[in-house]
Amino acid sequence: MKNKIKEWLKSGQIDIFLGYKTLQGHPLPHAFGKDNLEDIDTLITGSNYYPLEKIATKLVAEKPDIKIGMITQDHSQRALNVLYIWNQLDPENIKPLKGDGCSSNLKEHADDSHREAGKSGQFKKQFGMNTHASIEEAEIFAQQERFQRWMYEFQKCIKCYGCRNICPVCFCKQCSLEHSNLIGTGSLPPEAPIYHLVRAVHMAGRCIDCGLCEEACPADIPLRLLYRKVNAIVTELFDYETGSRLDQSPFSIIGESITLKLKPIAAA
Amino acid sequence: MECKFVPSVCSYCGTGCGVIFQVLDGKLVGTLPMKTHPVNEGKLCIKGWNLHEYVNSFLRLKYPLVKTFGRFIKVRWDEALQITADRFKEIIETHGPDSVGVLVSAKITNEENYLAQKFTRAVIGTNNVDHCARL
Ligand code: SF4
Ligand code: SF4
Ligand code: SF4
Repeated sequence: MKNKIKEWLKSGQIDIFLGYKTLQGHPLPHAFGKDNLEDIDTLITGSNYYPLEKIATKLVAEKPDIKIGMITQDHSQRALNVLYIWNQLDPENIKPLKGDGCSSNLKEHADDSHREAGKSGQFKKQFGMNTHASIEEAEIFAQQERFQRWMYEFQKCIKCYGCRNICPVCFCKQCSLEHSNLIGTGSLPPEAPIYHLVRAVHMAGRCIDCGLCEEACPADIPLRLLYRKVNAIVTELFDYETGSRLDQSPFSIIGESITLKLKPIAAA
Repeated sequence: MECKFVPSVCSYCGTGCGVIFQVLDGKLVGTLPMKTHPVNEGKLCIKGWNLHEYVNSFLRLKYPLVKTFGRFIKVRWDEALQITADRFKEIIETHGPDSVGVLVSAKITNEENYLAQKFTRAVIGTNNVDHCARL
């Protein structure tokens, strides 16, 4: 693997390689360059996962034609696909190299997150919604109770925007979460459930289930479960598994006619 | 293009969350929470997430300013220190040491806080020292 990266860098197939390296005792993201090929011997894998894809979009924003190699896990490939579809990255300029570790529910082994059984785990003492619940388990509650349980979770939010900031597929220049017409400003917790539902709706066809948002959430809100449900609906309606394919997402196609009827919003 | 990730500690409050700064060509462009840091375990509050913004803010004070006749004048550090010392001396001589109070901060280190209280008690000669975290 390391030789391959060296070769890529030497031959100019890539300008920079995004991976991980231990610095001051911490496994941190690191950019390996061609000026210091020995540095690549210090590359580590199977450590904590950071949103390298998002970092790549930042590099591209500064230098559009930069060629980037990066270590990937299953979910990073899905993230890359989504970023290609939405024109944030050009597949021509990205060279993924498969590493190990995956935090998706598609795999049992979660190498890179606190979700793996037996590791440090949660400090949550009381659950509105259990972080580890599956969609089905979350739906056993009657509607009203379910709503209250979610509201219990949402009201812990400290509005850090960490869920958005860390998300590899959040790239909008203007974010609805900061739009005062959509979400009232000046209150903490932010307006619930609208704050969380706005984000959830925007994750339809975007969220690739990496779990970074939930890991970054200081309030331990089961965000991933929420977005999983949203994307289960996407799969059901459009037969599209987010990030699984490189062709267009149902959300990036401009349709010809409106097929859904407008519904008045029911009073709460 | 030079791209670096620099481990650091959030300077906004006394919690001391671990952060990673993303530096592009010498400019700070992003902050990430450090997942392996024992204090914050991959989480940050809104202040920590935006550390790179204040470092780059055009409102940031980069050198000492002395207010003279209602205007802020840029001075050298040694001048600023001398002016401050002279003014303090004057105030203490006229109104006594208890006319001075010192407010220390959660944004500085434990050692700096210690030094500040020592300075207040031993040099200025007052017990008027408090901390911004005592809300
Ligand atoms: S799991 Fe969270 S961080 Fe990951 S893609 Fe979905 S919303 Fe973004
Ligand atoms: S990460 Fe959690 S606490 Fe922060 S804004 Fe998102 S939901 Fe709220
Ligand atoms: S991230 Fe927030 S809680 Fe952590 S040290 Fe900075 S200001 Fe304090």
